[in-house]
Amino acid sequence: MKRMALRLVVPVLLLVGWQLLASGSAQAPRPSTVVEAAIAMLRDGDLLAGLATSLGRVFAGFAIAACVAIPLGIAMGSMPTVERNLDPLVETFRPIAALAILPLVILWLGSGSGAAIAIVAYAAFFPILINTISGVKRIEPSLMRAALTMGLKPLTRMRVVLLPAALPSILVGMRIGLGIAWTAIIAAELAVGAKSGSSGGIGQMMFVFYAYSIDLNGMVVCMIAVGIVAFALDRALRWALAITVPWSRL
Amino acid sequence: MSAPKIRLDSVSKSFGGSVVAVDKLSLDIRDGEFLAIVGPSGCGKTTVLNMLAGLEPATSGTMALNGKPIEGPGAERGVMFQDYALFPWRTVRGNVEFGLVYGPAGNGLSPAERTERVERTIEMVGLKGSQDKYPHQLSGGMRQRVALARLMASEPEILLMDEPLAALDAQTRVILQDELLRIWGQDRPASERRTVVFITHAIDEAVFLADRVAVLSSHPGRLKQIVDIDLPRPRGDATRRSGDFARLCQSIWELIREEAYRATMN
Repeated sequence: MKRMALRLVVPVLLLVGWQLLASGSAQAPRPSTVVEAAIAMLRDGDLLAGLATSLGRVFAGFAIAACVAIPLGIAMGSMPTVERNLDPLVETFRPIAALAILPLVILWLGSGSGAAIAIVAYAAFFPILINTISGVKRIEPSLMRAALTMGLKPLTRMRVVLLPAALPSILVGMRIGLGIAWTAIIAAELAVGAKSGSSGGIGQMMFVFYAYSIDLNGMVVCMIAVGIVAFALDRALRWALAITVPWSRL
Repeated sequence: MSAPKIRLDSVSKSFGGSVVAVDKLSLDIRDGEFLAIVGPSGCGKTTVLNMLAGLEPATSGTMALNGKPIEGPGAERGVMFQDYALFPWRTVRGNVEFGLVYGPAGNGLSPAERTERVERTIEMVGLKGSQDKYPHQLSGGMRQRVALARLMASEPEILLMDEPLAALDAQTRVILQDELLRIWGQDRPASERRTVVFITHAIDEAVFLADRVAVLSSHPGRLKQIVDIDLPRPRGDATRRSGDFARLCQSIWELIREEAYRATMN
């Protein structure tokens, strides 16, 4: 009970400070007006529909990224030749921000869900790949040797030793990747929203508030919603991590 | 005298072309014997074991098991690693049954037979009640037992052990030395025992456990002498207190003392 109360100290102080600072200006969003806007947006279903659209895209893009990055990371982590050949390519593309490839993606895939999913997949791909590679490389050599001396065939070794040994690191990569995917989708939808032929999603909702109705309260509601979803996603993944890899202290 | 179980003939191993870890080692290991290999650090003990396990090829010379050349790892040679190499994501039971479930050691066993053998092995090493714990929940001594149980459950012909007791405190070591001899079968006739190659840096441990002690010298690793340990079996605390035991330890110590001092000074 006391700990809960202590945790609330900072948020309450922030809210009070915000209300005080904003009271000087008529247009500035205040906690009270934002709550009103949030209730209205929740009631007409726009907010949840926008979040659902964005989340759907994030999960689709994230799934694509994981399906490519994990097998590739295992190959790069366990086969030096593969790594030597692909590493320069990966390191060249990795610093290119997801938003930097946006113009190209829109040109190819239009401004709908396809483009948004592609951006998310690109953004989530690298953290998953890098963590999978390092997870495979950091496997205790004696574990693979133990499997060898017990006469396991190569594919069995990969399935029952390499994969579980690298799993904690792979899951960390997925957790980071999902966080990045969520930031990327908002940015992508904001940018896509600038084009005609809107595509929906929470990011585009923010763009509409900004460009058409100049509704600052609505924008703040969207921002807070994005933050809450990110927090929930991270907690869910941490929980999944604790369940799937109980032997690992991450 | 029957044919040796394992024959090493002039086996050498060098790393990077220049560092000679093992130099022209010739050694016959008999069926059912407990052979300990001792020597100062840098004598290539672990390298010898890894070559026997098939994890590292010899640079020159030949190694044969039952007359057939050793060319890679095989389930008939079980290894117990110095760091135990337990799978952290598997419980005690999951580790012990590993070789039977995923390796050829379990071929021809029904699930019921497999379960029976796993449970029996766990009981044999004194881990009953801890089957569902993970390695990180166990003490060093218990982890060592899990590694031993995993090795025994697959029933390999040859047991290769790389300083398995090195990381334990003195009391636990003594207890596990006794248990190791019991599990190996020192109470049974010699024909029913498995062949053990046991690497250690502790002379008293080698003398207490082994039928023969191979003493290696270092830089490069060469076979210095093979000492027969004719202490009667079964051995126990009385053995440790006996004058013969002390004399054997002393004579082996004299063989390696000079080099051990030199290794410490450097």
